[in-house]
Amino acid sequence: MNENIKTASYDALVIGGGIAGGETALNLANNGFKVLLVEKDLSIGGKMILLSKVFPSLDCAACITTPKVSEISRHPLITIFTASEIVRIIRGPNGAFKANLVKKPRFVIVEDCTGCQLCEEACPVSVPDQYQMGLVGRKAAYIPFSIASPRVAAIDIENCTLCGACERACPTKCIDFTQEPVEYAIDIKTVIIATGFNLFDPIKIPRYGYGRFKNVVTSMQMERLLAPTRPFPTILRPGDGKMPDKLAYVLCTGSRDASVGNPICSQICCMYSIKQAQLLMGALPMADVTIYYINIRSFGKGFEEFYEQAKGMGINFIKGKIGEISENPKGNLVLRYEDINEGIVKESEHDMVVLSVGILPNQEASGLFQKKELTLDLYKFVDQPDILVSPSLTSIEGVFVAGTAAGPMDIPDSILSAGAASSEAIGYLNRIQ
Amino acid sequence: MNNNIGVYICHCGGNISDYVDVEKVKQAIATEEGVTLAKTTIFACADSNQKEMVEDIRQQHLNGVVVASCSPKLHQITFRAVTERAGLNKYNYVHANIREQVSWAHSDNKPGATEKAIHIVKAAIAKVRYAKSLDPIIIQSQKAVAIIGAGIAGMKAAIQLANMGCPVYLIEREYFVGGRVAQWDSLSTSSETGKQIITRLYQELIKHNTITLFTGAEISSYSGSIGDFHLKVNIKPRYINQQCNEGGLQKAIDVCPVILPDEFNFNITNRKAIYHNFPSEYPQLPVVDMVHCNRCGECLKICGAIDLDQKDELLDIHVGSILMATGFDPYTPIDGEFGYNQINNVITLPQFQRLINLNEKKLIFNEKEIRHIAYIYCVGSRQPEGENKYCSRYCCTTTIHIANVTRRKFKEINNYHFTRGVRTYGKQETLYRESLANGDVFLQSYEDDLPVVTSEDGKTIVKINDILTMKKSMEIEADLVVLVTGMVPRAENSIGALFKLPKGRDKFFNEIHMKLRPVETVIDGITISGACQGPKNVTEAINSALSAATKSFSYVSKGELELEPIIARIEKDACTWCGACANVCPYDAIRIENDGQKEYAVINNAVCKGCGMCLPVCPTDAIDLTAYSNSEIESMIDALAQD
Repeated sequence: MNENIKTASYDALVIGGGIAGGETALNLANNGFKVLLVEKDLSIGGKMILLSKVFPSLDCAACITTPKVSEISRHPLITIFTASEIVRIIRGPNGAFKANLVKKPRFVIVEDCTGCQLCEEACPVSVPDQYQMGLVGRKAAYIPFSIASPRVAAIDIENCTLCGACERACPTKCIDFTQEPVEYAIDIKTVIIATGFNLFDPIKIPRYGYGRFKNVVTSMQMERLLAPTRPFPTILRPGDGKMPDKLAYVLCTGSRDASVGNPICSQICCMYSIKQAQLLMGALPMADVTIYYINIRSFGKGFEEFYEQAKGMGINFIKGKIGEISENPKGNLVLRYEDINEGIVKESEHDMVVLSVGILPNQEASGLFQKKELTLDLYKFVDQPDILVSPSLTSIEGVFVAGTAAGPMDIPDSILSAGAASSEAIGYLNRIQ
Repeated sequence: MNNNIGVYICHCGGNISDYVDVEKVKQAIATEEGVTLAKTTIFACADSNQKEMVEDIRQQHLNGVVVASCSPKLHQITFRAVTERAGLNKYNYVHANIREQVSWAHSDNKPGATEKAIHIVKAAIAKVRYAKSLDPIIIQSQKAVAIIGAGIAGMKAAIQLANMGCPVYLIEREYFVGGRVAQWDSLSTSSETGKQIITRLYQELIKHNTITLFTGAEISSYSGSIGDFHLKVNIKPRYINQQCNEGGLQKAIDVCPVILPDEFNFNITNRKAIYHNFPSEYPQLPVVDMVHCNRCGECLKICGAIDLDQKDELLDIHVGSILMATGFDPYTPIDGEFGYNQINNVITLPQFQRLINLNEKKLIFNEKEIRHIAYIYCVGSRQPEGENKYCSRYCCTTTIHIANVTRRKFKEINNYHFTRGVRTYGKQETLYRESLANGDVFLQSYEDDLPVVTSEDGKTIVKINDILTMKKSMEIEADLVVLVTGMVPRAENSIGALFKLPKGRDKFFNEIHMKLRPVETVIDGITISGACQGPKNVTEAINSALSAATKSFSYVSKGELELEPIIARIEKDACTWCGACANVCPYDAIRIENDGQKEYAVINNAVCKGCGMCLPVCPTDAIDLTAYSNSEIESMIDALAQD
């Protein structure tokens, strides 16, 4: 065995540090189990920590996520590995699992970094900021985002020019370019998959012009524009920095669309679009907001009332799927669609278009398991062989699934699914002990 | 008096600072008596700020802390924990709400909002000066959970709690377990029927000797509070002792002359006064419906197991937590709603589900073979006029699934769906695609122009102005009209009233917070799960049941609980026992005591919630509330009333 491989043992391995993984880890730890939470990104909190407000209560997403994240990160029974990836998981003869994983170098000594951001100021390299969905830039030496956990710097080594400016600026001398990946071999008894989802990339629908027309943005970009930790103090369209006054939402972008390989409904887009529209009415009181839809699916607790409220606020709802978007010389967008109510093809001009992109499966967990396969369903989400009675069970005994790794769902459903997964995992741990 | 006070004023991203000038607030309060540290922070709740607070408290030996941020409902616990981590007793923390009560309420008046925020923070500082260290009240917690309702959610929660090593009382009002799921046959996403699923759960349930199942049982009263609930359970007898010789009970059922509508089949068939719902039902012992039995004695002649003289049993059970899983009722249309109860081939979706199960080969209703079926969606849900504004969530998918099943099971079926926009969310979308491929016809009505069902010359006609075909007026002659009825809260809801469980706008039981505390209620120790909380499909009900089981377990697992020490206290010498406090107490926490010399009031510390109702009614001012003493309240009022 390679001597450089570090070893440790835990009761449970939770893969993914988003809201579902975090909730699962907390439930397990609060019941006395030792948990390793592995997150591939630089911060835990997943997609939720980046959102603006959440429907239908309009709670600020950060206000719900950050205290949870704080609780997870200081729990004595939870160990967090960020910027880490699982290589493989093998079940041993005794039924327990061994997981091999790699902690990638951050090139910053986490314990010593105070998050002072002097390295950011010193760094001469600017690249698009992935946490602001490319709306603004960031440096190659950077803190991922202001409410990240851990809130410490990282060096983006792919874009770094190794100029050494950050090293010279750092008051605690915590930048360390000699860091190397560290391999771990971990013993665990149970695994919970909470790897979340990917967003549909609208570049796959060229007729909507995303990537070509600057004022066509995704709903996740709009989340950032509306969030408390937003890049600009107000809503600006990317093409020319103008405040938009006629916005359009294109629902079902990449969902309910077999032509892009995703025939299912993403379950959240109607509601987050209605929510964003309500927030836009607050941020831009003079703006017109129109939502183009096939069906409005406001099915959860308080959702239909939220939809009615949006109509009452003056948000326009037009039944019709957008066929094509073109750009005029003013940078405005012309949307071509069939108005189902009137049965005619129409065109309408908007100065900013938001594509309500859908949920796609994150298939990363599928290849991890050796010996016995982790089965995926038809749509490549983690299969739930006993979906009605034990929704957290997977094709492998002792491996559970939580949140959107199993299929599209909203935040309340993800949290309940995490509650179910941790509950089943506790039952399993009690049984094998 | 605390005189080394730290004050943190939160931007809440922009939620507060967009409307309140937080720097101005900081300057205005920094010079208040006792304040030695004043800071603003972008997110007070963020981990980095929490760490900074811990360091400040330790290094500067703060003895009082105020955070001015959101509602205390959201983060009072968070910041109390911060002070505790820093080694300061958490009751030296006071929360000031300048978001819900200031920035959100006064977004149209920024200077006024800032002024109000200053006053609210000053009042919190005034209070924290008087704050004292308090110890939590420790109470014993009975390691057992009562689950109300043995439908799919209650059964699953019971099994889960038993797996965690917790004794469970599973209390079912009906004589049989399985709730609504036992009534469904084909379920989407599963090859198992509802009955098979219930059978599987029942077999698992009875393996656990820590689960006690009561059927025909209702809770007649309760007392106590979290950790220490005492329930009186009234158990009605089945009037049958045990299975007698083969077929004896069946013969008894056969000879029973009383014929009643069978509620299990939603009244589309009849049953006797001795009955079971279906042959493989659990518990596998029929029951005598004593309300309708005419005591003719015919059954007694045939079957010796029947004993009409059995009596109700009254049991006391003692539990630390209660898990509600009382489910839903299908909406019952009012007479004439889309022809219901007036046109004889108009039925509800649950009735239709029973009908397709009871029929083989040919689909017959009212002695007529059914070919053309019209489904009218959103009956009792999303009502433009009525009270039910919510969407019932499960019905679009269920209807489309049932329409697909009907087409597979019977010949030459034509399905016509009169929708309000199809909501087959998530993977359920594929069922909709399947039905479209089958050739089902989907129409959509306007929200203010619903379909109309009429009966003309013995024909039942459904008319619609259809959105999908440019407002065309369409008519379909239907052999059967199925009203897609949604979920409503249980009509018989005395159990909710008994526990004083709060309800939402939709009249279902309400959780504390959909995302932070989704299965807890404001009554400490009582959790909710399944469709009693709002419409859910089976998977969703199970997820909430498992979450609630874990939460209820956390109340009882350690054998003791820490409770808030903020409660009323009675000064015995000043009390003259007039009883006014006991009369207004909403928690029955005050009782009379006599030490031989005088009568006086005593507070039950485990039950008192510190609501303060008893204080103003006391004529001798003998009651004080911990952490809300007169001096604290008066100093807060002074701070608020300052110019």
